[in-house]
Amino acid sequence: MVYPPAKPGGKGTVAVAGVTFQVRRGEIFGFLGPNGAGKTTTISILTTLLVATSGRATIEGVDVQADPEGVRRRLGLVFQRSTADEELTGRENMLIEAGFYGLSRGEIGNHVSDLLEQMDLSSAADKFVKSYSGGMRRRLELAVGMVHRPRLVFLDEPTLGLDPQGRAGFWRYIRSLRETKGLTVFMTTHYLDEADQLCDRIAVIDHGRIVASGTPSELKDGVGGDTLVVSTAAGAGDLTPLLRSLPGVTSVASNGATYRVKCSNGESLVPKTVIAAERAGIDIVGVTVLKPTLDEVFLHLTGHAYREEGDAPSTSPSHATDPGIVSRGK
Amino acid sequence: MAVPAFSLIYREYLRWIRAPTWVISGLMSPILYLLLFGQAFDLGRLIPPGTPANVLSNALSGAPNYFSYFAVGMVAFASVTAAMFSGAGIIFDKQLGILQRILSTPISRRAVFLSELTFRGMLTLIPAFLVVGFALLLAHVPGVAGLTVSSTVSVLGAAQFLAAAIVLSVAFTALFLSFGFAVQRVESYFGVVTILQLPILLTSNAMYPVSIMPAWLQYLVGFNPISLAVNVMRMSLFGTHGYAYPAGIYLLGLLAWAGLFVTLALVLASRALRSDVSPKGSALSQAIAE
Repeated sequence: MVYPPAKPGGKGTVAVAGVTFQVRRGEIFGFLGPNGAGKTTTISILTTLLVATSGRATIEGVDVQADPEGVRRRLGLVFQRSTADEELTGRENMLIEAGFYGLSRGEIGNHVSDLLEQMDLSSAADKFVKSYSGGMRRRLELAVGMVHRPRLVFLDEPTLGLDPQGRAGFWRYIRSLRETKGLTVFMTTHYLDEADQLCDRIAVIDHGRIVASGTPSELKDGVGGDTLVVSTAAGAGDLTPLLRSLPGVTSVASNGATYRVKCSNGESLVPKTVIAAERAGIDIVGVTVLKPTLDEVFLHLTGHAYREEGDAPSTSPSHATDPGIVSRGK
Repeated sequence: MAVPAFSLIYREYLRWIRAPTWVISGLMSPILYLLLFGQAFDLGRLIPPGTPANVLSNALSGAPNYFSYFAVGMVAFASVTAAMFSGAGIIFDKQLGILQRILSTPISRRAVFLSELTFRGMLTLIPAFLVVGFALLLAHVPGVAGLTVSSTVSVLGAAQFLAAAIVLSVAFTALFLSFGFAVQRVESYFGVVTILQLPILLTSNAMYPVSIMPAWLQYLVGFNPISLAVNVMRMSLFGTHGYAYPAGIYLLGLLAWAGLFVTLALVLASRALRSDVSPKGSALSQAIAE
């Protein structure tokens, strides 16, 4: 997909180009990239709010350009910012949104109450949105995006500004929908630990191009394995030559008495390091194995850090085989 | 099965019923004109005693006094002033991302425009009828001029009055809606609207008789949609004496204006609502790009 056109003689900039990926049905697909990388543009094209200059995208077999209304009917969209009407109550916002899909209060009323309950908004359901806190607005936004029971939902940084309980509750709900209803999720997030834990597969976009894609563990393997942090007692001898000689070690960096050892398998290197250091008479006070994080993947792929914090174990992916979203670049 | 457009109208209704301030502010200037200008600027007092009664009556197109003549003009002005606020809501919806949310649903783009036009158009009729009621009421207040209508207003006349009021409000609602779709900032919107308000009013026959105007102004006034609506309204209240054409012709002219403004609004609305390839062309792509 390419957007927008580079106008002849114009100063238009290309926002995204050469973006190609597939999202399988029932999959949670993470779309990550730094600010301005083209995440929102891509979501806007897939949700028919923008038309790509070239290329093709289909959602559940429906072409976004040939049948935008068919696509709109199928998807739920959760915007980055709050789009709820401040002058209306949470429930009114949801019922009106449902009306845009042709669903009446009679058909959808119970579902609306359920959703509000799930999002922990029951007590505020009939209060005006202008009285909501930031977190409540976020949760309402999610509820509004899910009101017509879409099978595919686009989440553009859905948990931005949510507190940890809010984030956990939201993802619990999304996961349960995925398990019970086969919901497909296309999400962007700024929380890399979140993406690591939740996403079956991830694509990384930078400067409008996809620079890597795969399961979180595949991506992390691509950065070059684990890091062993070895600390020695003050005044102990230099451990660098010894560490370099161990099997599987690719690089060693030291900072006084602390060594960062890049290696293919951190766990098996721990006993070897300890034994070798003892033989050499160097006193080790601590060894830590660091698994690669998506932050490192980011740093590695884009040359700039995504966020400062974030480390979490990867989850093993599982996915169905039929395609949910297909986007073919041109 | 709910009709998506009703959902939009319901939303607008809820918002309006909770904050009807725009109608009140739209009503302010016409009411002030009625209470102050209309009372002070009584052209009838300038006519020397002994002048035949029909001299004034002819100048005022059959109205019994200046205030009655003027009050009908203010009915039209109230509706136009109220219509001036029609487009502002769209700009807020654009800025807050509400329009984007609406456009991500299967509701048709045309339904978005038509529900705005219908609801906003109906709202502009409210001040128009409040002005009629207020002016009629003033006739019963001692020492104050009020609207006096001829006792022979027919059902057809009342229907003509209503038709003129409706077509006028549709025309100006569409015009100001189209500005709302076209511009991105509330400041620009009210800038344009404020620039237009006085020229639209002052080149009409709402405030003073056409016969005392210079010829070039008379020409302009003849084409002004407010004049066309006011002609029909005055004919239905005070009689058809002294008009060049029957009421139907004025109504047709007014319809032509409404057709023009609705077409303009349709074009600008569909430009603003379409998913555009050019980031400059579409309001939506600009909102997304920011």
